[in-house]
Amino acid sequence: MIHFDNVTKVYANQNRPALDHVSVDVDKGEFVFLVGPSGSGKSTFLRLILKEERPNSGAIHVAGKDLARLSNFKVPHLRRRIGCVFQDFRLLPNKNVYENVAFALEVIGKPRRFIRKVVPEVVELVGLEGKAHRMPDELSGGEQQRVAMARAFVNRPMILLADEPTGNIDPATSIGIMKVLDRINRTGTTVVMATHDAAIVDSMRKRVVELEDGKIVRDQSRGVYGQAY
Amino acid sequence: MRANFIFSEVWIGLRRNLTMTIAVIVTVAIGMALLGIGLMVNSQVAKMRGFWSDKVEVSAFLCKKNDPLPSCKGSKGVTEQARADLQARIQGMAQVESVEFENSAKAYENFKSTYGENDVLVKAIQVEDMPESFRVKVKNPEEYGTVIDELKNVAGISMVVDERELLDGFFDLMEKIRGFALMIAGFLVLAVILLIGNTVRLSAYNRRRETGIMRLVGASNLYIQLPFVMEGVIAGLLGGVVSAVLLIVTKVFLFDSVSINLAAGTQLTWNDVAQVILGTMVIGVIICILASFVTLRRYLRV
Repeated sequence: MIHFDNVTKVYANQNRPALDHVSVDVDKGEFVFLVGPSGSGKSTFLRLILKEERPNSGAIHVAGKDLARLSNFKVPHLRRRIGCVFQDFRLLPNKNVYENVAFALEVIGKPRRFIRKVVPEVVELVGLEGKAHRMPDELSGGEQQRVAMARAFVNRPMILLADEPTGNIDPATSIGIMKVLDRINRTGTTVVMATHDAAIVDSMRKRVVELEDGKIVRDQSRGVYGQAY
Repeated sequence: MRANFIFSEVWIGLRRNLTMTIAVIVTVAIGMALLGIGLMVNSQVAKMRGFWSDKVEVSAFLCKKNDPLPSCKGSKGVTEQARADLQARIQGMAQVESVEFENSAKAYENFKSTYGENDVLVKAIQVEDMPESFRVKVKNPEEYGTVIDELKNVAGISMVVDERELLDGFFDLMEKIRGFALMIAGFLVLAVILLIGNTVRLSAYNRRRETGIMRLVGASNLYIQLPFVMEGVIAGLLGGVVSAVLLIVTKVFLFDSVSINLAAGTQLTWNDVAQVILGTMVIGVIICILASFVTLRRYLRV
């Protein structure tokens, strides 16, 4: 599903590579934790999958597509098959829960009938039934992240990328968020989650890929966050 | 669904940037009105040239008794016989199409009909004061020069007036007005481009959250950019409507009164004005679209 082959990314004006000859394979339906200290290259890894950045060398395949050969014109279609969740939720403050989720479908031109059918389903899936008409500022951080997950998942993507989704959320609420991610994963969606949260990684017992200074230093199935932390 | 969504986005954008939108509308309106006036002067001049081209003549005035002009020194006036000889001689010139004689009485009639409103002037001038003249029509407009030169050397002719020179002065003025209008229109087009650039930039900044999410969930470039471009188009169209009103007012109060006084029957038709309005609107909207797109490429990375 995601295939990195000897990928190196150096940002302009920086001499140290953000990713240094990284090769990794993520299969369909897998749940992968991406761990490592700040600046180890986790976010770069995710941005490369979305083709927000281009690698300096190496090849990336996502959902069977060679990103180097994917024209800019087709990048939006790639992104429709990838859902994204961030630490800062990125909700539209002037739209309610339903509208925030529906927005993701409206802007890719889905018919209104389809939107009316699937949005309530997804809102229920993330555990926000009965709160569809709340505004984001009336929700807790955990609930806002659930809205963001609903928006990321509403188009049934093949891959869900989560960049520190529990970074702004207290540990008790984080468990709920992880349950939703797990539920999404069980529908067959590949999940890649970058995180600092050792407790979560240790409790989930999923595959762990550890980055340090842009290199993969550990790749272990059913792993833990790491002894050093 | 799509159109609905885009128009609500456009409406939000226009409202958030109300002052900038008004600035764009006003600038487009004035710029396009000046461009339109330039075009209207053009077709007005063309019509007037057509009107005058078969009416202009060379007037050759005859010497009167004790005429003070140097070319008539010692003249005792032109006798009827001499006048007939002169007419025959001019008629005989190869380039001349026709010659007509205008006596003092007829010249006075023409004078009165032109300056009839000015009583003082009409009363001060007597029939005898009006000069007699030949009205000469030339076959080929390019040969006016040679005819005039020849007539000047004929004894008994006091002065040769080329009516085209009078008209040329007028046409020169019209062309200067046109040039000036087009020049200012050019500057305003530049202002429109910069203003739209600024408006789009503000809009893009105001909506960076929305566009960021749209990018993330895979909205196509067109879908992301269209609301911004539509903002430019709508501002351009509104400006075009205002400029259309300005052009109609200009036609009715400026062009029509000028052309009725100078050359009856050469008024611009509504068809001409409609073409000018359509042309300026299309140009205005195209400028707005191009300016929006160029700015979007810089400020809205997709």
